[in-house]
Amino acid sequence: MTLVLLIPLFLLVAAGLVLVGPSHSRQARARMAAYPVGAACLGAAATLYLVATTGPITVRFYDLSSVASFTIPIGFYVDRLSAIMMTLITAVSVIIYNYSIGYMYQDRHARRYLAMICLTDFVLICMVSSSNLMMLFLFWQVLSYLLYVLAHNHGHAGTLAGAFKTFTLLRAADTAFLAGIALAYQLYGTLEFQDLFARAAETPTTLSLWPGIEMSGATAVTVLFFIGAMGKSAQFPIHLWLPGSLFAPTPVHALLHAGIINAGGFLINRLAPLFGLSSTTLHVAFVIGTLTAILGATMMLAQNDIKKTLGFSTIGQMGYMIMECGLGAFSLAVFHLIAHGLFKATVFLNCGNVIHKARQEPHFPHVERQANEEGLSRLTWSTGFVTTLFIPLLILLVTHGVLRIPLLESQGTVIFLFFIWITSSQAILTLTRLRQVASWKVSTAMLATLLFIVFVYLGAAEAFTAFLYPDPDAVAAYFRAADFPDWMFDLIIGMATVLTIASWSYLYMTAHGRAIRMPNWIEGFRIRLYLPFMNRLYADELHQLLGNTVMRLVHRLDKVEGGWSR
Amino acid sequence: MIDGALLAWLPAGIPLLGAVSSIPFWSNPHRLKISAVVWSIVSLGSIAGFSGHLMTPPEGLLPLYLLPLTAVISILGQPIHVDHRLSWIAILGFLGLGLSVLMNLPVVGAIGLLSLFTLVAVLLYRHHSVLWPMSWWGIGIYGMGALCAVGTLAPDSSLVSVASVLAGAVLLPLVPFHDGHLTALTRLPGSLPSFIVVLLPLIGLHELAPALPMIPDVAAWTVGLFALVGTFYGAVKALAQTRTRLLLAYGSLSFYSIVWWFAAATRSATPRSALLVGTVGLAMSGLLVAWQVVRTRYGDDIDPQAVSGLASGMPRYAVLLSLLALAAMGLPPFGVFAGFMGLLLTVPFPSTSGLVITLFAWLAASWYIMQMTQRLLFGLRRPELRYTDVLHAELAALLIVVLVLLALGLAPATLFAPERTVSAASSAGGSLAWNR
Repeated sequence: MTLVLLIPLFLLVAAGLVLVGPSHSRQARARMAAYPVGAACLGAAATLYLVATTGPITVRFYDLSSVASFTIPIGFYVDRLSAIMMTLITAVSVIIYNYSIGYMYQDRHARRYLAMICLTDFVLICMVSSSNLMMLFLFWQVLSYLLYVLAHNHGHAGTLAGAFKTFTLLRAADTAFLAGIALAYQLYGTLEFQDLFARAAETPTTLSLWPGIEMSGATAVTVLFFIGAMGKSAQFPIHLWLPGSLFAPTPVHALLHAGIINAGGFLINRLAPLFGLSSTTLHVAFVIGTLTAILGATMMLAQNDIKKTLGFSTIGQMGYMIMECGLGAFSLAVFHLIAHGLFKATVFLNCGNVIHKARQEPHFPHVERQANEEGLSRLTWSTGFVTTLFIPLLILLVTHGVLRIPLLESQGTVIFLFFIWITSSQAILTLTRLRQVASWKVSTAMLATLLFIVFVYLGAAEAFTAFLYPDPDAVAAYFRAADFPDWMFDLIIGMATVLTIASWSYLYMTAHGRAIRMPNWIEGFRIRLYLPFMNRLYADELHQLLGNTVMRLVHRLDKVEGGWSR
Repeated sequence: MIDGALLAWLPAGIPLLGAVSSIPFWSNPHRLKISAVVWSIVSLGSIAGFSGHLMTPPEGLLPLYLLPLTAVISILGQPIHVDHRLSWIAILGFLGLGLSVLMNLPVVGAIGLLSLFTLVAVLLYRHHSVLWPMSWWGIGIYGMGALCAVGTLAPDSSLVSVASVLAGAVLLPLVPFHDGHLTALTRLPGSLPSFIVVLLPLIGLHELAPALPMIPDVAAWTVGLFALVGTFYGAVKALAQTRTRLLLAYGSLSFYSIVWWFAAATRSATPRSALLVGTVGLAMSGLLVAWQVVRTRYGDDIDPQAVSGLASGMPRYAVLLSLLALAAMGLPPFGVFAGFMGLLLTVPFPSTSGLVITLFAWLAASWYIMQMTQRLLFGLRRPELRYTDVLHAELAALLIVVLVLLALGLAPATLFAPERTVSAASSAGGSLAWNR
């Protein structure tokens, strides 16, 4: 069982191999280090198989009874969640590392960079396989610093400012995480995951924060942990560090967007039994996640830089993932982050090619619009109609009838399905507007693909849920914990329906030249929205302003109070 | 068989003997430095050798080990120069006096404390410059400390406890008695600041240990309040500083005030408090030695931004400074984090607002220390500057600090003293109560 330790050790060996040695053999050592990285990936896959067949692996280098004597108890707990994360991280690392060897070939700091990549992988692996909160926090913190190191460049002022912002914002979120750990220990007397969950479930506590203001212990602890997760997963309004770190080398982004940013989702999943005890925290997660998903996606649409576009796309996706957690669909969040991680790593590693191609072909990727656009055909409309109205019904029937998901008892699933409806409608709307649905062949192919993707996704997600959380009662309990008050549930469903139908109506009417009675200020507002979203809602400027104001106050205080000069 | 009481005299006597025996090398700075380092190592060895026979104070044996270690680091980290001879001898002298206080030697301990206050005040009176002018407040505070040291000899136990807490407040800086700490760290000559930043706070904690359970509730509450004010004040002032030594002085004040807050709440000074005090001091000492490296090359009190780009010109220095900065801002796996977490986990929070202020101070350290490091290390390399990476002695000093801080972060807290259960005896502000 202790062979599982070889996985992080392989990565450490790779880092050492790159870092130590004469400079003339630098390239050869860099290539040689790819083998231990690959070995770590194979080890992770083997561990996943082992854990799936024989159960969790626990390796502790401390005595549980005297855990208080060690501030940082080092131990490993590899269950299915950890094993999946380890496999994802190492698989992505293999690709990124091999890509980086060529990408950084002539860079002066390639050696440091490659070693840092291996070290970051090592830290990520240790983090996801931690046996207790303290060790997890140790690697969580180290990761914050490594992110700073990877995102910065000695001589470039913009990069330095971005790296500093990354570090400080992550530290702010980490402070909440630290407070959560301290509070959890004070309330439950342990930081061991399984013991912590058991004690939290057995002994419900109430905190009196202020006379008259009370909060359940589980809520206080999970809210603090959630803020910690918000930092790493770039949730609004702590998302500012992600666009700020976009100066880093492209492979760093691939690793960041495929691995590091998933830390928030991992943390929530690791502590799912604790989060399941607090409906309040899950609702907060839902609100923050939804807000981040909407803002991230909207800002993405208004960016004119490929890296920024991808960066905001990640923010939106992370918002989506946190929203899933807020709905109690923890396993779905993991499924999502795996899919997103693989997709985004590929896109980032390829974005250089897109830029290169765009430089060679001035019209790429723009397509010249036809001078006289034809009206939307009946076929186009039927496709859109089928997609937006009949497919959701089909999905509901399959979900309820075939997959046996109790929709009536699971608000989270219903909201999630409605969200799928909105997003797929939005995709179809885009295609319709672009006149891409022009023939029966295209329509059929599109509908078949959509159905295939949706059903495969649903089936895979259901199978994945059964794999990650084998106890269906626990899954149902998480969904129940995330239930909203009825009025809010109805409001969300109603809004989703109105939004989808209104979008279609608007498109139909504008396509047929019908006048839509829209007040001028709404029309003007719609246009004016573009600028703030292109400027990322001026959040960076606000952050700067806030920082400057605080520093002005600090300096004023410093002047008023003589201090050292007395 | 040597008597245990006699053994306690030995570690305190060795550095004093070393100070006296090093004087003949006054004309040869190179030999003087070697002699001072050797005597400090012998002192450390004697403590390690006799630790089994020494009486364990309430705050544990860690301070006894840290003092000679810091002496070694401080002396090693300073280049050989005739101007530094006084500080090397003074470090040995202070080490002897400090150990005599920590060993609880009868009469000599009290005299040692009085001598420490007096000597620091005299040195502050003698050493000032245009950049760092005379600070009567600082000297006055140490004068007050000397009076308190005399007060600890009084027959009345209540007077002794008040005098001990006041003396502790001067040594382990507590607002409003923190001016001495700021003055000492900015004006003492040579490598003394990097030693003093560990020595005085550890002695202060030692003075507090027996006095805290004796003071009345209202006094403990007031101390807790001052501690919170100091935590916030130190962090805010550090944020405003551009002069490195001041930044470190205010930063350490903020961290030491956190110890005061927990100490006032539990009415005790535990080994975990000593761990935080010792590691904060050691990290600040390391940063002062690192700053000494810059001062040696580019002059005293230089603006860090004026020597930017050290990361490419002095890579070994850059790595060590970065690690020290991480340790000083309380990041794991270094000792400062271990001490801080040790207190957070083992002591019930006296108040929610206090916890928030404490965490703010921990967070603020990331800003001011990281900013200082970034200004020094990063940015464009300046062609007009000559970059010389750390010399062997400097490298050894900085490396020792990093490794010790790392070891203290990973070692069990019970290594230097058995763990005791503590409980909050009083609270300062709105209580964070929970009902099971």
